[in-house]
Amino acid sequence: MKATLRAAGLIALKDLRIEARTGEIVTSTTMFAVLVTVLASLSFYLDAQTARRMAPGVLWIAIAFAGVLAMGRSWARERENDVMRGLLMSPIPRASIYLGKSVGTLAFMLAVEVVLLPLVAVLFHLDLAPVLGPLAILLVLGTLGFVAAGTLFASMSVRTSARDLVLSVVLFPLIAPALLASVVATRQLLGGAPLAEVLDWARILGAFDIIFIMAGLVLFGPLTSD
Amino acid sequence: MGAQFNRVRAKDLVKIFGATRALAGVTATFEAGKITVVEGPNGSGKSTLLSLLAQLARPTKGTVLYGKVDGRVGGSALRGSIGVLAHASMVYPDLTGQENIELFAALHGIADPKKRAAELIERFDIGRFLRRPARTYSRGQLQRVALARALVHSPSLLLLDEPSTGLDEKAVSSLIEAVMQERDRGTILVLVTHDMDLANRIADSRIRLERGRVVAGEAA
Repeated sequence: MKATLRAAGLIALKDLRIEARTGEIVTSTTMFAVLVTVLASLSFYLDAQTARRMAPGVLWIAIAFAGVLAMGRSWARERENDVMRGLLMSPIPRASIYLGKSVGTLAFMLAVEVVLLPLVAVLFHLDLAPVLGPLAILLVLGTLGFVAAGTLFASMSVRTSARDLVLSVVLFPLIAPALLASVVATRQLLGGAPLAEVLDWARILGAFDIIFIMAGLVLFGPLTSD
Repeated sequence: MGAQFNRVRAKDLVKIFGATRALAGVTATFEAGKITVVEGPNGSGKSTLLSLLAQLARPTKGTVLYGKVDGRVGGSALRGSIGVLAHASMVYPDLTGQENIELFAALHGIADPKKRAAELIERFDIGRFLRRPARTYSRGQLQRVALARALVHSPSLLLLDEPSTGLDEKAVSSLIEAVMQERDRGTILVLVTHDMDLANRIADSRIRLERGRVVAGEAA
């Protein structure tokens, strides 16, 4: 376990270091998420009340679409120069590669959400101040599950020619329940539902996270072996 | 660090991908301090054999013995004793050469990655350009960094997969010198190449594969 965490830390730090140097993933992903949000706002805006009801869906759609982009780009770095082969040749537990890539992508996505959330609040007339804490928890839980499942399938894209198609086609049906839970929980929170009700959804999201992470840790090795 | 061994024996290796039989029963022995060149036309199974020796794929049938350790149960300890130098450099283009070497040293569990990187930088005389991102390197520079990366853990088995592709004569000579040094250190070397000039200059033994079988050479 210690070896897995140590190697995962090295891989995640490597991803963060490259991103700090290039800014490529966070910049392109943020631009894309902003574009999706602005387009949705312009296309579907009726009045302030309707906008508030639509905001959770738009927020999570933007996160999901941007997440696919981020994961694809993150694994493209392992494809370039066939570095993935070098990683697989290292005497580290295969699960640590999955874990390290997941942590890196989670950090990228949270950075995107820091920009996205205020934008959604402005465009959809939301007062986030009273619910910022619980909303942050929901965002972390929802994004974690999405990244945990997405990283596993994005890793397969390293070896697939139709990689973007495979990722989208396989990933979205799989994470649909978690995505729906995220949307409903966010809608309830923003609609003023009691925290106990939101907490139930948070528990469901937590359960999805655990399932996706465990599946990733177990399946990553076999999926990356011939 | 990985397991130590001075002989690798492939026994009756069969590898099937779908309907394609890439290897159809290959038996060969690779000894420490010797360079074995694996020859053959495209599609003969050379790269598949290298993948099986590298523990990157599992044979459909047969086994690879690393010393006395069966490849099917050796796990990560065996991977820690195998190095691969291929045409693709396996280095991150947005990290510097030094960062790449240090990263792979750390992944191989080397206690002081910076010190190990410094040793390799001095050995291969690559300090001049190593603080730039690898993306800016020439093909020859990139291959020298790749060689340092492949040797960062002092592997018992070094697999060379078309390492001279795209290199000029000077870079090939430098590569040969490094490979000869490894041979003198007692490393087991397996070279897959279409470069017959390179093969003729460094081969201690040869095997030839055709349609997944050994058709010529000492192991035939």
